[in-house]
Amino acid sequence: MRKIVLIILLIPFIVISCGHNRESSENGILYWSSNNTDEINFAKKIVDNWNSKNPERKVKFQPVPEGQSSEEVILAAVVGETTPDIYSNMWQGDVELYAKAGKLVPLDTLPGFLPFIYERCDSEVVKEVTSSDGHIYQIPWKINPIMMIYNKKWFHNIGYNNPPSTYSEYFKAAEKIKENNMQNGYVNKWVGYIEVEVTWWQRLFDFYPLYLAASNGGHLIQNNKAVFDNKYAVETFSFLKTLFDNKYFPRERLSARQDPFLSNDIATRFTGPWEIAHSNKFKPEGFQFSFSTLPVPGNHKGNVFTYGDTKNIVIFNTCKNKILAWQFIKSLISKEGDFELLKMTNQIPRRKDLTTDKEFSDFFNDNPEMRPFALQAKYVKGPDNSPVLKEVFDAISQQFEECVVYGKKSPKEAVKDAADDVNLILLQQ
Amino acid sequence: MTTKKAIPYLFIVPYLIHFLVFISFPVLFSFFLMFNKWNIIAPMEFVGFQNFYRLIHDHLFLQSILNTLIFLIIHIPLQIIVALFFAVLLSKKLKFIGFFRAAYFLPVVVSGVVVTILWQQLYGYESGLLNRMLISVGLDKVGWLTNPEIAMPSIAIMATWKNVGLYIVLFLAGLQTVPQYLYESAELEGASSWQKFRYITLPMINPTMFMVIILSTIGGFSLFIEPYVMTGGGPLNSTLSAVLYIYKQGFFYYHMGYAATLGFFFAGIILVVIFIQKRYIEKETG
Amino acid sequence: MKKLFTYITLIIGAVVFIYPFWWMLAASVAPQTSIGNLTFLPESVSLNSYSQVFSKIPIARSLFNSLFVSLTITLGVITFGSMVGYALSHLEFKGKNLLFYIIIFTMTLPFQITLIPQYILMVKFNWVDTYFALIVPYFLSGLSIIMFNQYFKTIPRDLIDAARIDGCGEFRILFRILWPNALPAIITVGIITFMTSWNEVLWPIIVIRDDKLMTLPQLVTLFAVGGRAESQLGVKLAAATLLAIPVIVAYAFFQKYFIQSMASTGLKE
Repeated sequence: MRKIVLIILLIPFIVISCGHNRESSENGILYWSSNNTDEINFAKKIVDNWNSKNPERKVKFQPVPEGQSSEEVILAAVVGETTPDIYSNMWQGDVELYAKAGKLVPLDTLPGFLPFIYERCDSEVVKEVTSSDGHIYQIPWKINPIMMIYNKKWFHNIGYNNPPSTYSEYFKAAEKIKENNMQNGYVNKWVGYIEVEVTWWQRLFDFYPLYLAASNGGHLIQNNKAVFDNKYAVETFSFLKTLFDNKYFPRERLSARQDPFLSNDIATRFTGPWEIAHSNKFKPEGFQFSFSTLPVPGNHKGNVFTYGDTKNIVIFNTCKNKILAWQFIKSLISKEGDFELLKMTNQIPRRKDLTTDKEFSDFFNDNPEMRPFALQAKYVKGPDNSPVLKEVFDAISQQFEECVVYGKKSPKEAVKDAADDVNLILLQQ
Repeated sequence: MTTKKAIPYLFIVPYLIHFLVFISFPVLFSFFLMFNKWNIIAPMEFVGFQNFYRLIHDHLFLQSILNTLIFLIIHIPLQIIVALFFAVLLSKKLKFIGFFRAAYFLPVVVSGVVVTILWQQLYGYESGLLNRMLISVGLDKVGWLTNPEIAMPSIAIMATWKNVGLYIVLFLAGLQTVPQYLYESAELEGASSWQKFRYITLPMINPTMFMVIILSTIGGFSLFIEPYVMTGGGPLNSTLSAVLYIYKQGFFYYHMGYAATLGFFFAGIILVVIFIQKRYIEKETG
Repeated sequence: MKKLFTYITLIIGAVVFIYPFWWMLAASVAPQTSIGNLTFLPESVSLNSYSQVFSKIPIARSLFNSLFVSLTITLGVITFGSMVGYALSHLEFKGKNLLFYIIIFTMTLPFQITLIPQYILMVKFNWVDTYFALIVPYFLSGLSIIMFNQYFKTIPRDLIDAARIDGCGEFRILFRILWPNALPAIITVGIITFMTSWNEVLWPIIVIRDDKLMTLPQLVTLFAVGGRAESQLGVKLAAATLLAIPVIVAYAFFQKYFIQSMASTGLKE
C-alpha cells in the first residue's frame, strides 16, 4: 500500500515541476553578451571595470546560452520570461517584433538618453532605429558591413590591379575567369559565389547589400508598404541573374564543401570583417586578400552603401532598475568602451566620429586590413523596422530563387511579384 | 471502493494522466488555436475563420502536399520492388545470409541525420561522389539536388536506401510463412518462376505487403529532416515537405494559429489516404 | 550458375549499403583539400577534424544527454507500458475496452496536430531547455502497451492465479512474475523505444535551444546546417561519424536483437 501511495505522489510532482530560476541579482543588473569569444572577453573587461567602480550596484554578466542561433535563444527567454536585463547582441531586424509585443523598454523615456544618442550617432542612424510608434527601443551598437573580399593574386594574374567596381567590370573579369577555367565542358572556377539556398537570411548577404549599394541606402518597406519595386531592385536581380545565366557563379551549395575562397575556387565573395580572422587562420601559403566596396550599376553616383548586419543593445521590460541599466550601457558605448570593442573584437562601433577622431584613425592606420570597413561605416544601413521582416525576406527570396538562380522569370516580373507578396504579408499582420 | 478493486485503476492512472496532458489537451488546444492568431509573445487574437481562408489560398502549402505525395509515389514502389527482390534472393539456401542481412539493415539503425549529411556529399554537383563516377565513365553530371525536377526523387532514392533493409527483413519473414508444398505442386504442373512468384508468393505475402505500405506511408508523410538539412525546401520549393512547411510557419515565423490549422488539415489528409489504402488493399485480399 | 549470379548481386548490394559509410569515415580522417578526390583510401590519416569537432561543440555532453534521455524514456516506457499492458491483459475494470480503443487512436494520431500545443505546454510548464521537455512527453507509449498486452496474453492464466492465491499483490505479480517471463517483449520494446528516442530530432530542435542540453543527433544536425563548422567539410563528416558510431557499435554486438525487434513491429498487427 505504501508503495502505491508513493507512486501516486510522484506522478503529479513530476508534472508540476519547477523550471529554471531567473538568474537576476536583486539590486544589480543581469547583462547578456553574445557568445563570441572576443566579445566575451570585451564584456568581461567592461563589467569588471564597472563593478570595481560601483561595488554597490554590481552588474552580473553572462554570455547568451549557446544554441541554434542567439535569436532563437532570446525568443525562448522572452517566452519563458527568463530574459536578462540588458542584451547587447540583438539583431536590429528582431527588435520591432519584441517592441510591438511590449517586451522592450522605450529608451527615449530614460533621462539623458536622447542627448547622448544624438551625440554618438548621426540623426539618420537614430531615425533608422526609431520604431513605428515613435519610440526608440534599441541603441545602435556595432556593425559588420558587407563588402567584397577579393583574391589579390588571382586578379593580378588576369590583369586587374584594382578589383571591379561596376557591374560591367565585374562581368568582364568573370568572363576572363570562366575562359581560363573550363574542364570537360564544365566550369570549375568562378568569379564569385552566393548561397543559392532559399532561406530568408541568405539574402542579407547578397541581394540586400547589393540593393542598398545600388539605391544609396533605399528602403524595402516604408509606412507598411513595399517600396522596393523600383529600378534598383531590378538592376540588382538582373546583375545576379546574368552571373548565373553565364555560369559566372556556380549553382551549387559550395558551403557544403570546404571554403571555396581560400581554396582558390572563387575569386571574390560578399562578406564581412569576420572573414579577416577566418581567412588568416585557414589561408594557404602566399594567399593574399583585401576588401573593396560592392559593385554597382554603371550609372551609379555617390557613395556605395551596404548592409551592416547591425547589432544593437536593448533593455527588456523585466528589468527592475532601468536607470541603473542605462548607466551601465553608457559605459559600454562610451568612447573608451567603443575603442575597446574595436581593439578586442575587430567589430566596428556605430559612431559618427569613427574616422574623424584621432584615437580611432590611429587604430586604422595600424590595422590597414580593417580600414575599408572604417571608411564604409558611414554608408551602412540596417534592416527596416517590421515585425514580419523574416517573412518579407522569405518572399523576396522565393522570387530571387525563381528569377536569379533558375531563370524562370524576368527581373522585372520577379521584383513586382515579390512586392505584391510582401504587401499581402504586411496587410495580414 | 475496496483497495483490491482500486488496483487496476492505479495501474492505468499514469497513462490516463499522460494521455490527458499530452494528447487530449494538445488536440483540443490545437483545435482552439485554429481560430486564433498568436505569435507566442503577444497575447492571442481571435480571428474566426481567417486561418482557413488563408489555407485555401496558400499555394505553397498545396505545393508542399504535392511534394510529399511525389515523394511517396516514388519511394514506396521503389522500396517494395527492391526489398522484395533482395528478400527473394535471401530466402534461398545460401551462405553468409546473416552477413548480408546485417549489411542491408545497417542504414536502418543509423540516424537519418547521418544519412542525410552523407548523401549531401554523394549528391554534390561539382565534386560529389556520384557525379565524379558519372564523369569518369563519360556521362554528364546530374543536378541531383539543384535540378528542381530531380531533387525530390533524389531524396526519395536516399530514403529508400535508408529504409529498405527493414522491409527486406519484413518480407523475408513473410516469405518464410509460405508453405513449401505450394511451390512443389506448382512445379509439378510446369509453372515458371515468374508464375510461381505471381500466383503463389505475392498473394501469400499480402499481409506483409499491406504492413509495408502503411508503415512507409506514415513514415513518408513525416518527411522533415532530409529536406531540412539537405535543401532547406528548395530548389524552387520542390523539396518543401508538408511537415517542413508547417514547421516553418510555426517556428520560423511564429504563426502558431495558422500552423495549427495546417497541422490539422494535413493530419486529415493522412487519415484519408490510410483509409483508402486500407480499403483498397483489403479488397485485394478479400 | 544462377547461384553465382545471386551471390554477385548480393555482394553488389552489400557494397551499395556499406560503402557510403566507409567513404564518410575515410573523409573524416583525410586532409580537407583531398576530400574532393577521395574514393576509397585517404591520402593520409589525421584526427584533426575530430579534434575540431570536440573543440567547437559540446559533443561529449550531447552524447551523455542522448544516453540519459533515451535510457530514462526506455525505462519509463517499459515500466508504464507493462503496467497498462498487464491491466489490459489480466485485470478486470470498467472501461477496459474504451481504454484499448483510446490507445489505438493515439497511435494513429499524426504528430502534426499535437506538435505545437505540446511545445506551448512545455513553455507554460517552464520546461523549455530542460530534460523534462525531452523525457516526459515520451514517457509512455501506446505501442509498448499494445506489445506488452499481446505478449502477456500468452502467459498462462494459471501462473498468475497461483500467485494471487499465494497472496501476491498485483504489482508484485507484474514485476516478479511477468517481467522475468516476458524478456523477449522487454528487449523488443526496449530496443525500439531506445532507437526511436535516440534518433528523434524534430522535437529536441523545437524545445531545446541551449546547446548544453541538446541531444547528439540534434547537435550534429545544427552543426551541419549552421555555420559553426566554418565550412570545413571534414569536420562536418567527423561530427556525422561520431553520431553514427554509438549505434553502429551497439548494432555490431546486438545485431540479431535489433533486427528481430524492429521487424516485429511489422508482424504484430
